[in-house]
Amino acid sequence: MEFTTNQTAYTNDGPLKMYRIWYYFREAFASIWRNLSLTLAAIFTVAISLALVGSSLLVREGAERATAQFQEGVEFIVFMNADATVEQDGAIRDVLENSPAIEDYAYVNQEQAYEEFSTLFSDKPDLVNSVSPAVMPPSYRIVPTDPSAANVTELARQFANQPGVKEVATATEAIRQIDDFSTRVSQALLIAAVVLVVVSALLILNTVFTAIGARRQEIEVMKLVGATNWFIRIPFMLEGTIHGLIGAALAIPALFVVDNKVLAFFQESDAVPLFRGFAVPDGFVWDTSIWLLLIGGAVGMIGSAIAVTRYLDV
Amino acid sequence: MIRLENVTKVYKGDVTALRAVNLEIQRGEFVFLVGQSGSGKSTFIRLLNREEVADSGKILLAGKDLGSLRSWSVPALRRNIGCIFQDYKLLEKKTVQENVAFALEVIGQPRPVIRKNVPAILDLVGLTQKADRFPDELSGGEQQRVSIARAFANRPTVMLADEPTGNLDPSTSVGIMKLLDLINRRGTTVVMATHDRSIVNSMQRRVIELDRGVVVRDDSHGIYDEPNGVYE
Repeated sequence: MEFTTNQTAYTNDGPLKMYRIWYYFREAFASIWRNLSLTLAAIFTVAISLALVGSSLLVREGAERATAQFQEGVEFIVFMNADATVEQDGAIRDVLENSPAIEDYAYVNQEQAYEEFSTLFSDKPDLVNSVSPAVMPPSYRIVPTDPSAANVTELARQFANQPGVKEVATATEAIRQIDDFSTRVSQALLIAAVVLVVVSALLILNTVFTAIGARRQEIEVMKLVGATNWFIRIPFMLEGTIHGLIGAALAIPALFVVDNKVLAFFQESDAVPLFRGFAVPDGFVWDTSIWLLLIGGAVGMIGSAIAVTRYLDV
Repeated sequence: MIRLENVTKVYKGDVTALRAVNLEIQRGEFVFLVGQSGSGKSTFIRLLNREEVADSGKILLAGKDLGSLRSWSVPALRRNIGCIFQDYKLLEKKTVQENVAFALEVIGQPRPVIRKNVPAILDLVGLTQKADRFPDELSGGEQQRVSIARAFANRPTVMLADEPTGNLDPSTSVGIMKLLDLINRRGTTVVMATHDRSIVNSMQRRVIELDRGVVVRDDSHGIYDEPNGVYE
């Protein structure tokens, strides 16, 4: 090699050349390993906060699905016996058509009821297979002229006494209960989650700050020989992002536990009518998981970006 | 190569480190900066390396105006400048060759280039045998050689040296000076701040003397003491 001076232009080095990716990851993981206890604290905080965020979303989705039948002004549902006679059915229909107390109604036959049931429990094929259209109760979804609770309760009482009627579910009580419940639970979870997300960002910031401190000398030399600012920053930001992603990855199994155990517990309890509809399909849990990964990565990147801009001085 | 026009640098607390300095250093020159502690030598070096920015006046280095240089262009400037210090600034957890390779790695040189250049540079500074040693296993002179190898790894056009022999005994210092002289003869401009009388006297190169931030002497083939013996 000839030792002449560097007369040519500076080396062309974009910060994202392939051969540098390896460097960034090596540095980030070396730093995580050096700083393991702080890193674990940051990761677990991210995991707990994101598990809460996810649970809050699941509870809200469950509540929405449980009350899906009561949309567009439907205040109560008259379920007929599966073996109700044509006369019994006709009597009910006659009242619905002619009573001034009834604004509108929709008939859901056994086929449609079965369709709805299979959609609601699409991820529980055993349950769907255990029923058939023949055992599903046909129903009338009824929009009353006066939606006040007292009126709806009175109408429901009258319908419940008609021959051929299996049961009457009213929105006013059931929806209020389920809405109250889910709003309270999901809000409490969300507040706790937001606080913890901020705490995780601060913990990641602190961890990355410590990592920067451990490499002060190296950073000084890097600046001295002309490493670009991004080259110095990226491993630290990658480190924070990895914290966030690992935390999110740990929160995902927790989400499935919430789905399979906690929501299932409500479905099986008879505490509140309609809780049996309190289910979310696995697809929604996976979608939520992707959101958690995005949030986790973003929290990690933001936390480390603040650390880098405040303490790196590059 | 380097030009200072009316350069003044004042630190916080009204300490004037350099006052209206005008001078020019040609490509390939070897320049000693002498003067007592606090005379502004280190500030001079730090301004050229753009660790500091002048408060007034203009500094040109390799055609670049350092005052108007954007912060994102500073790395490009530094790749053209090698720096060595009294305390070497070596990374204790890296071996000799890793320390040198590090300087190339972090400016994005590809692995094959690093593998080819590092042994050649270690050969130049005479440390091939000690490539796998750690800094704390080396003598002061050897550590300074590593730091020179690192500074020269990217073959800069300018080498800045701030008291490079400050911690070394006279015979070791001579070895370091021979190395700097070799690098200078290969075309690199060398600016060296020093207190070392015998080195300056033996090299017979340009001497710029600073006193409280002012250039008081500029001899093209000077010695450490003023010819009339006034300076001590």
